[in-house]
Amino acid sequence: MGSVRPAVMGAKLRRAWAGRRRTGGRGPSPDRTGRSLIWPTGIAAPLAMLAPALVVIPVLGLLPGLVHGGGFDLLAAFIQAAFTPSLDPLVLGSALKGLGTTVGVALLGWAASGLLGLALALASSRQVWESCCGQVWPANLLRRLLALPRSIHELLWGLLLLQVVGLQPAVAIAAIAIPYAALVARVLGDQIDALPSGSLAALRCSGVAAPQALLTALGPPLLSGLLSYGGYRLECALRSATLLGVFGLGGLGTELKLCLQSLQFHELWTGLWLLLAVMLLLETGLGGLRRRWLMPRRLDLGGASSGEPGLAPRTAQAPGLGIALAQSAPAGAGLGSSNLSGGNLSVSNRLRPEPRVSGPCSAESSPGARGLGLGLGLSLGLGGPKHSLGRRGREMVLALVVLAPLLVWLAQAMGVQPVALLHWQPLPNLSAASWASVLSLPWARLVGTTLLLTLVAAALAVGLAPLLLLVIAPWPGARPLLQLAWALARLWPPPLSALLLLLLLKPGLVTAALALGFHNLGVLGRLLLEASDDSPAPAELALKGAGVGPRLALLYGRFSGLARSYLAYGAYRADVILRESVVVGLVGAAGLGTQLLESLSSFAWDQLLALLVVYALLTLVGEDLSDRARRRLLGPA
Amino acid sequence: MPAAPAREPLQPSPGSGASPQALPWLELSQVTVPGRGRPRLDRVSLAIGPGERVALLGPSGAGKSSLLAVANGLLRPASGSLRWLGAPPARSGWARRRQQARIGTLWQDLRLIEELSVQQNLNSARLAAWGWPRALLNLLWPLDTAANREALAQVDLGAELLSQPVSALSGGQRQRVAIARLLRQDPELLLADEPLASLDPRLAAELLQLLLNQVSPRRALLLSLHRPDLLAGFDRAIGLRQGQVLFDQPASSIGPADLEALYDGEQLDSRP
Repeated sequence: MGSVRPAVMGAKLRRAWAGRRRTGGRGPSPDRTGRSLIWPTGIAAPLAMLAPALVVIPVLGLLPGLVHGGGFDLLAAFIQAAFTPSLDPLVLGSALKGLGTTVGVALLGWAASGLLGLALALASSRQVWESCCGQVWPANLLRRLLALPRSIHELLWGLLLLQVVGLQPAVAIAAIAIPYAALVARVLGDQIDALPSGSLAALRCSGVAAPQALLTALGPPLLSGLLSYGGYRLECALRSATLLGVFGLGGLGTELKLCLQSLQFHELWTGLWLLLAVMLLLETGLGGLRRRWLMPRRLDLGGASSGEPGLAPRTAQAPGLGIALAQSAPAGAGLGSSNLSGGNLSVSNRLRPEPRVSGPCSAESSPGARGLGLGLGLSLGLGGPKHSLGRRGREMVLALVVLAPLLVWLAQAMGVQPVALLHWQPLPNLSAASWASVLSLPWARLVGTTLLLTLVAAALAVGLAPLLLLVIAPWPGARPLLQLAWALARLWPPPLSALLLLLLLKPGLVTAALALGFHNLGVLGRLLLEASDDSPAPAELALKGAGVGPRLALLYGRFSGLARSYLAYGAYRADVILRESVVVGLVGAAGLGTQLLESLSSFAWDQLLALLVVYALLTLVGEDLSDRARRRLLGPA
Repeated sequence: MPAAPAREPLQPSPGSGASPQALPWLELSQVTVPGRGRPRLDRVSLAIGPGERVALLGPSGAGKSSLLAVANGLLRPASGSLRWLGAPPARSGWARRRQQARIGTLWQDLRLIEELSVQQNLNSARLAAWGWPRALLNLLWPLDTAANREALAQVDLGAELLSQPVSALSGGQRQRVAIARLLRQDPELLLADEPLASLDPRLAAELLQLLLNQVSPRRALLLSLHRPDLLAGFDRAIGLRQGQVLFDQPASSIGPADLEALYDGEQLDSRP
């Protein structure tokens, strides 16, 4: 019964909002007509969310042919062991030690990528260059260059560095830091450039020097988004550090893989439960900080459920209220700025303004951004806790003061020597003759398999998350179970799922796709669950009030508003899956990933180089396609 | 703010506190909904019979929205009892939904599904009666076009709007589509939560007339109203203040003194 309260409370805000929109002219406008009804796919919004789940049918059709006998006993033992993890002090100690290494790698990699990313973001921001030097070409150049480190998965960086400098603690850290820094640079750079430039221009006009003006005008509005995104990157870093361990770079991942390969399921679950505990602790802690510091959620679909569903995603000049998609931010994230002091900011996946129109565009966009920021500020004023000015800043400084020595101590305890990364082992010479073996690779099949694997895994993840949410809709008690399932799926590294699936299935594309899809289902499922945990969507409530069942009310009333932003996030996820497809290469027949790992282990450097280039090109094209899909879903018509 | 002369009620007005002779479509007795500080609804009792047009008056925060939320089943009262069309809310979810399907609500923010077409929105009123196959088919194919066309005609809209996305409509068109959706639901009890707020006077008057016209001998209307000047056309008015019923009497008998007591110094929202 308390559930109706937000809807009742929000009525005034919505009234004000509706009035404002009405005065702005609400007639049929060309930018609103064509897009809402018919999707690019030709089906209505809520169904578009579920449509990818159709891929289950062919996958289920193929499964009987893939199952091999004998694995079920092992699977049963594996599941049984989940309830009886080994509590042997020796096992516990080793798992804890491994966990310590993994967490250390994650923290250090994350911190390094954050610092490096911030510097690179400033260096690749057009606003910064324009403000300091009146030129934007260096920013554009750096942006293009940064695409390369970003396009190579951290696992590949790890394995490459391993070959070049040998096994040492700094390798795993650098493997995480390099691609993450490039990613952070792009996201932050886009955020900086998407900020309204009015206040910066005003400061510069009044004679303030560029650095101070930049800090004053862009620092505060950027901070919330920066911290929120930073928190998300830390969660990712923990997952990546575990994954790198699976491939022999040390830490808990290595332990887990050894346990799985030697079928020591009880020991395996000891490590897994510990990892789960750390991950949930981290997610809860970051969620708490996010609320305390009033930072945006990662996929805040509040705008879509606040009486004007889908409004914000549809208007490009409306960052802020719509979807906070810090997680999808590689597409370019924008910040809706609020004029209220201490007002919250929402990282929206507003698409990056084109370089040449950034001036007029930002001028044009600022009223919308301000309006929405105001709306958000109001909603916080109504519903959120009173935010004491300055407290957040003090707490942040305190957090930094604690974190910095901790990181230094960690680096020393782990024996990290960054200088050692510079001592390269001699690389083999590449002769012209060896290129014949490169050309002899079945390129078309490799690329085709990789793309198919990506599509199947993405469709599984994108389609099953809403489907399962619909299935459990009538039983609120099932939500924690689903939450736990998604947490397990997230923390369970895809190569380990792949190895586990190999107990039952033959190696191949479907096995690899299931492993990748399961992991990403955990990510998508959680975001969707969080988005639907928000105050009930008005349209959903209205349907329930008219006697519609919980599943149909969810489908019609909430999924309709969520569909665009969810699918846009799904497009981003597909891009991530393409990059990740290398990590399931070890199950065989999984396209470029499998070939890469084979070439790497047979020291076929020529093949390796060619494969890397092709992989990087493929991920860059994939990123571009994913960006376009998102722009189409979220941008104006 | 003089109350406009009331028109002749459809049937004998029950008057203050008295229950109508016919089985009441909506009956609240001693309903209390707790809130922060003071209760949002405090021992509210009222009964609305078929064919009645009842206005719910009161200052902001008086509990009008809570009362309507109790009436359509979205808010369960902490104490007191509620009866829909003579029966208490069913215990089983399914049976309760069958009851709720007979209650239609016009929300102030309309709660149309922006991403869907007018036709799909109109059909969404039938979802309580439809199973999954039809609900899914509605998202793929135009269903029940004739019935939807008729519903649009009743609110003076043309059938050409059926294929339009709701988000492409003007403010006035949206209001009418929302009413047409109610018509598609064909409820016995019609609730409306301040449907006239933030509308210009001409649109407000038109919309109110449209709503009043929907009342039939088998359908009742309970409408929360911000503007006492629009009482003409109602049979009864219920004044709510601080969660309590202050008066419940024929609309024609509401005088300036009643309104003064109800709003007690608050600025009346009575745009000309």
